[in-house]
Amino acid sequence: MATQTIRTRDKDSLARFLGWFSLGLGSAQILAPRTMCRLVGASGEGLSKHLMRAMGVRETTQGIGILTRARPTIWVWSRVGGDALDLALLGAVAARGNAKRAAFAMANVIAVSAPDVYEARHLSRKDEPTRDAMPVRKAVTINRPREDVEQAWMGAQELREKVVDAGASVSFSPAPGGRGTELAVDFTQDPPAGDLGGAVKKLTGNDLPTQLADDLRRFKQLVETGEIARSDATPGGDLLAEHLKQRPAQPLEEVSR
Amino acid sequence: MRALCWEGRNTVKVENVPDPKILNGRDAIVRITSTAICGSDLHLVDGYVPTMRKGDVLGHEFMGEVVEIGAGVSNLQLGDRVVVPFPIACGACLACERDQYSVCENTNPNARLAEKIWGFPTAGVFGYSHLTGGYAGGQAEYARVPFADFGPIKIENGFTDERVLFLSDIFPTGYMGAEMCDLQGGEVVAIWGAGPVGQFAAASARMLGAERVILIDRFDYRLRVAEEHTGVETLNYEEVTAFRRR
Repeated sequence: MATQTIRTRDKDSLARFLGWFSLGLGSAQILAPRTMCRLVGASGEGLSKHLMRAMGVRETTQGIGILTRARPTIWVWSRVGGDALDLALLGAVAARGNAKRAAFAMANVIAVSAPDVYEARHLSRKDEPTRDAMPVRKAVTINRPREDVEQAWMGAQELREKVVDAGASVSFSPAPGGRGTELAVDFTQDPPAGDLGGAVKKLTGNDLPTQLADDLRRFKQLVETGEIARSDATPGGDLLAEHLKQRPAQPLEEVSR
Repeated sequence: MRALCWEGRNTVKVENVPDPKILNGRDAIVRITSTAICGSDLHLVDGYVPTMRKGDVLGHEFMGEVVEIGAGVSNLQLGDRVVVPFPIACGACLACERDQYSVCENTNPNARLAEKIWGFPTAGVFGYSHLTGGYAGGQAEYARVPFADFGPIKIENGFTDERVLFLSDIFPTGYMGAEMCDLQGGEVVAIWGAGPVGQFAAASARMLGAERVILIDRFDYRLRVAEEHTGVETLNYEEVTAFRRR
C-alpha cells in the first residue's frame, strides 16, 4: 500500500473567505470602475477611474494568491497593506468629493481590516511545513481473480506507463464477499495553481483523476468482457470528456474498427 | 434503412438513416421482423426523459433474424431467429453473474452521466435516451445488438413472432410483478390496471399458482381482452361500488 501523503494546509475558512472576497471586489472594480467610484464618493472620471481599476487588479491578484497557496500568510498580510492604502485613498476622496459616501466606504474597509489582521497574525504563528498536494485514489472492482487482473495489468502497457509517469502506485486486493479484485491507483495531486487550477483542469477533462476514472472503467470492460462497450452515440466508448458532445443514437455512416 | 426517430417533444418521424454495422467482435446485426411500442416510449415522446437528441432511433422491444455476426459470437448463426431483451448485458460482471442484467456494469458508456442525473446507473438499453448509453433502437429495419452472444433468446421451436416478441420486455415486467408476490398457491390476487403489463402480471400470477386473479380497470375493451386471453376475473370499477349502502 502506498504511503499516504496527508494534505497539510493552513487555509482555514476565514482565509478562503478573504480570498473570495478579494476576487469578488476586485472583479467589480475592474469591470465597473465608474459605478464603484460613485459608490465610494469619487467622481468616476479621469484618474479616479484608472486608480479604481488598478486597485481591482491588486485585489484579484491577492485573491488568487490566497486561494492558491497552501499557507497564504504573505498574501493575507498584503491585504492588510491594501486596507491601509484604501483608507489613504478614501481619505483623499473625502477631502475632495462626497465625504459622506467616502466615510461609509472607510467604515467598510475598517470592518474588513479586523479579520485581515486577525488572520494574518494567526497564519504568521504557524511554522510547520505545508504541503498542498491531495491524496487521490481511483479504484475499480473487477469480477476476476487477482492473478487474472494482475496479468491483464501487465499487458496494459500504455496505462501502466501513464501511472508510472504520474508517480502513482498500484495495488490489488481481494474485493469483499468474493466480488473479484479491487484495483486501486493512489497518487498525490498537486496542480500548479492549487484548487483553482485543479478545477480548470477538471472542467476540460485533462486532469489525471478524470483520465484514470475513464481508463479504469475501460480496463474493467476489457478484462471482464474482452471489449470496450461502444454505442452509436459514443462510438469511442466511455469517456467523461465526451459525455456532453454525443452524436445522435443512430448508426454511423462510416465505421472505424 | 428506415427507422423511427425522435425529433423533439411530441414529434417522431420515420426517416432514412445509415444501416447499422458491426462495431465490436461480440456484436450482431438483426433484421427486425417484429417490434412493439412500450408504454415507457411515451415518456420519451412526451419529453420526460432528459438527454434525448434529435435523430435518436427509438424502440427497445424487438426481434428478428440474425443477418451478420461479429468474430466473437459463436452461439448464433446467420438466419437464427432471436428475441432481443431490452437491457444490454455483458454476461461477465458481478451484476450479470447474479442475473441482475438491468444493472450490468459494463454496457452503458454513459453510466456516470446517469449516476449524476438519476442518482444511479443502469445497463445500456436500446433506444432509450443517452442516459442508458445512446444505443440506436429497434423500431427500425435493422439493429446492431452488442454482446449478442449473451442476451438474445434464440427461438427454435417455430413459435410465431406474436407469441414470443413480448419476451423482450413486457412479459418479464408483468411476470416480475407476480413473482414479487411470493405466491405459494391458493392466493387471491388483485391487479389494478389491465393494460399489457397488468395482463401479463395476471397471466403470470395464475401460472405461479394463484387461485383467483381479479383484474381491475375502467376500460371494458381491455377487460374483455384480458378475459379472453388469460381467463381471469375482471372488475370495472366505474360500474361497481366497494361500499354497500346501508
